[in-house]
Amino acid sequence: MKIKTEKSTVAFNVLGFAVMTLLTLACLLPFWVIVSGSFTSELEIIEDGFKLWPDRLSVEAYQAAFSNPAQIFRAYEVTIALTVAGTVIGLFVTSMAGFVLSRKDFKLRNGLAFFIYFTTLFSGGLIPWYIMIVKYLGWKDSYLSLLVPSLLGAFNIILMKNFMRSIPESIPESAKIDGAGEFRIYWRLILPLSTPGLATIGLFMALSYWNDWFHANLFITSEDKYPLQFLLYKILASAAVLKTNVAANLSADMKPPAETLKMAASVIVTGPIVFLYPFVQRYFVKGLTIGAVKG
Amino acid sequence: MNPQMKKTGSLLLSLTLLGTVLAACGGNSDNNGNSQASPSGSPSSSGSASPSAGGDAAKPDTSKKVELVWYLLGDASSESAKVNAEFNKLLEKDLNTTVKFNFTTWNDWQTKYNLLLASGEKIDMLFASTWADYYKFANQGAFLPLDDLLPKYAPETWNKVPQQDWTEATVKGKIYAVPATYPEYTPDGLVYREDWRQELNLPEIKDLDTLEAYLDGVKKAKPDVTPINGKAWNEAYTLFKSYSGYEQIGGDSGVVVAKSYDAPRDIVAYPFTDEFEAWVKRMKTWADKGFWTSDSLASQKEAGDAIKVGTGAVYWRNAPGAGGYITDMEKNKPDIKMGYFPFTRFHNYAMPTLSVNNAMAIPKSAPNPERTLMVLDKLRNDPKYYDLLTYGIEGTHYSIADDGKSIVKPPKGMEGKKDFKGYDIASWGWRIESMSREKQAAGWTGFDALLAEFKAESKPNIFSPVLLDYAPVKSQQAAVNQVFEQYGKPLMMGLVKDPDKSLATFRDQLKKAGVDKIVDYIKTEASKYYDEKGIQ
Repeated sequence: MKIKTEKSTVAFNVLGFAVMTLLTLACLLPFWVIVSGSFTSELEIIEDGFKLWPDRLSVEAYQAAFSNPAQIFRAYEVTIALTVAGTVIGLFVTSMAGFVLSRKDFKLRNGLAFFIYFTTLFSGGLIPWYIMIVKYLGWKDSYLSLLVPSLLGAFNIILMKNFMRSIPESIPESAKIDGAGEFRIYWRLILPLSTPGLATIGLFMALSYWNDWFHANLFITSEDKYPLQFLLYKILASAAVLKTNVAANLSADMKPPAETLKMAASVIVTGPIVFLYPFVQRYFVKGLTIGAVKG
Repeated sequence: MNPQMKKTGSLLLSLTLLGTVLAACGGNSDNNGNSQASPSGSPSSSGSASPSAGGDAAKPDTSKKVELVWYLLGDASSESAKVNAEFNKLLEKDLNTTVKFNFTTWNDWQTKYNLLLASGEKIDMLFASTWADYYKFANQGAFLPLDDLLPKYAPETWNKVPQQDWTEATVKGKIYAVPATYPEYTPDGLVYREDWRQELNLPEIKDLDTLEAYLDGVKKAKPDVTPINGKAWNEAYTLFKSYSGYEQIGGDSGVVVAKSYDAPRDIVAYPFTDEFEAWVKRMKTWADKGFWTSDSLASQKEAGDAIKVGTGAVYWRNAPGAGGYITDMEKNKPDIKMGYFPFTRFHNYAMPTLSVNNAMAIPKSAPNPERTLMVLDKLRNDPKYYDLLTYGIEGTHYSIADDGKSIVKPPKGMEGKKDFKGYDIASWGWRIESMSREKQAAGWTGFDALLAEFKAESKPNIFSPVLLDYAPVKSQQAAVNQVFEQYGKPLMMGLVKDPDKSLATFRDQLKKAGVDKIVDYIKTEASKYYDEKGIQ
């Protein structure tokens, strides 16, 4: 059977596609400016500002960023390993925390929850935290200082707990009757039912690990442990310093192009993480259907 | 494959990942431990033997092997590890010591610097400077007083550094840093397109009138050029400071100044002076003539970049900075000829930077202050050490020029080769003029004459060492800064409709913000300092 399309539907579709196309273009435009900016020569940007299509193509920004390719690839390795490890371990501990706090039969959950939420409002501040990590834990220049501090976030725990609370109480209850232990309930029932939540929080975590430069800035001193974001940020900061009066004291081999370098750094660092979205998006959709409770 | 297997698989995978991460951390720290431990075995015996064999009672004991940690500002060079290893070889032989160099990098270095000192981390020496709050930290007791240690552990340095330099490093009667012996003059000034001046037959820039004539001439003859093209605040502000002869006290004291070098006790808020009124009226005419753009205060563009592409003519730089800029232009744009006008010519005196503008200090928590001073003493006085750490390995990173004194980079035989990697380190903290193999201001040919000019008219810097923390007037200071940003800056750049009215508002707002309290505070603190030093 053929479904008739009415004229108004056609008009609506045409209009809808047109608007959506324009909106998509509007979203892509800034991205494109970054990419084209990274391939423009520095002087052209100073002269005419950023353009959609550069008159003179130039790769000097990438040359500056990749002046030491081994270092960049090493930084990619560090960042990828940290992101994967951080997200996996982080999801594990966050979901366990969320699971415990979501269980009504856990008596101390309010006190414990308060203990966790308290840290979102009050914290010791930068210096005590720094002293804690450097002096008491001895993590200066250790990967642990990059990995551990962001593993558990109060906000993520709240999200996870609320998500798990939406799973009906009857599920763990029935599992218990069937003789399942708490960990089995968590691992075999709650966790699979929480895929959308895990995907969301996992994405948050992956992004925060990927974009983290601050911890490295404070704690990492050896170059081969720099994560990608910090390495690029460092290159940018050095390029900016070369524009100040301090530059007279520095005999840098090469003056990197500061403006285009920013763009190239953005491209280098966003490139790989953009590919993460399509993969995780699959779980968002799938997860929503799994979450439905039957009967 | 059944789902259970899959899950177990993923669990296993995550566990292995966790394992590898932890193993990586553990492995690394192990490696570090080994590298620290292994070399200590063999040379320590020879190291301990030499001083005791000398039988010199005055020589400090170096029988214990020590690893020092030094922190420097800026970035490590890709060749740092190589040079560091060579340096440690020398040190291990002579002092049974190695030094691990850490670098703050330029990101957020102020925060990091604060943390390093506040946390009591195990650091033996770090770069200190007036522009890195040396006086503040010394005053707070973040550094170790060195008076007793210096004669014993750094005798050569103790004798060689001029008394005046030690005096400038003294806070509350104690020396807290070893200043670099490298007198510098960093007065403000303007680099400008000298070729355009000649082309347009404009007068040589000697004072404010000729400067105005130059800017005007360029603007009129070249309509698509804005003389100061970009953010022009630095240009306008430093010009005002130097032209008026007002001296800032204790670093940046905002609107509160000493009225002239000869009247250090005459401390006022300059917006209330007649000179300021005349100045803002003049700047209004400058802005109207288009010497800078009307969006200059919001611009993020460097005026120096505009010169490179031919749309600007003037750029603010201090004297060594100008050298760097001009040599860079000579290399990349040989057809543009640049000139430099130092603002010292308005009043014909120059103040050197304080000795502690660049220095090395020992944090209070340093585990080995004695040994670290011995290393610094070696570094500052033994050319072998100085050249190695400052310029790298001879033949690899540089070679000595024919005059036997200055250096050539890249070294002979390496010119133009792709695999040459330069070495560079923030050596400011231990630089010594007599041992330096590189000229100031990036080798700019015009700098020698300028330096001679500055030295001839040099007057001691009596304003910078005044210690101000603004603690009693914190809120007034914040309010005044706010008012200055909002009303002062546009006024001083002539970007207002009616300067008279705007000036009245500015003065009024300053009064309301409590500028008088700040003047009183600075007056009291400055008088204390002047009394102590006997300055009238």
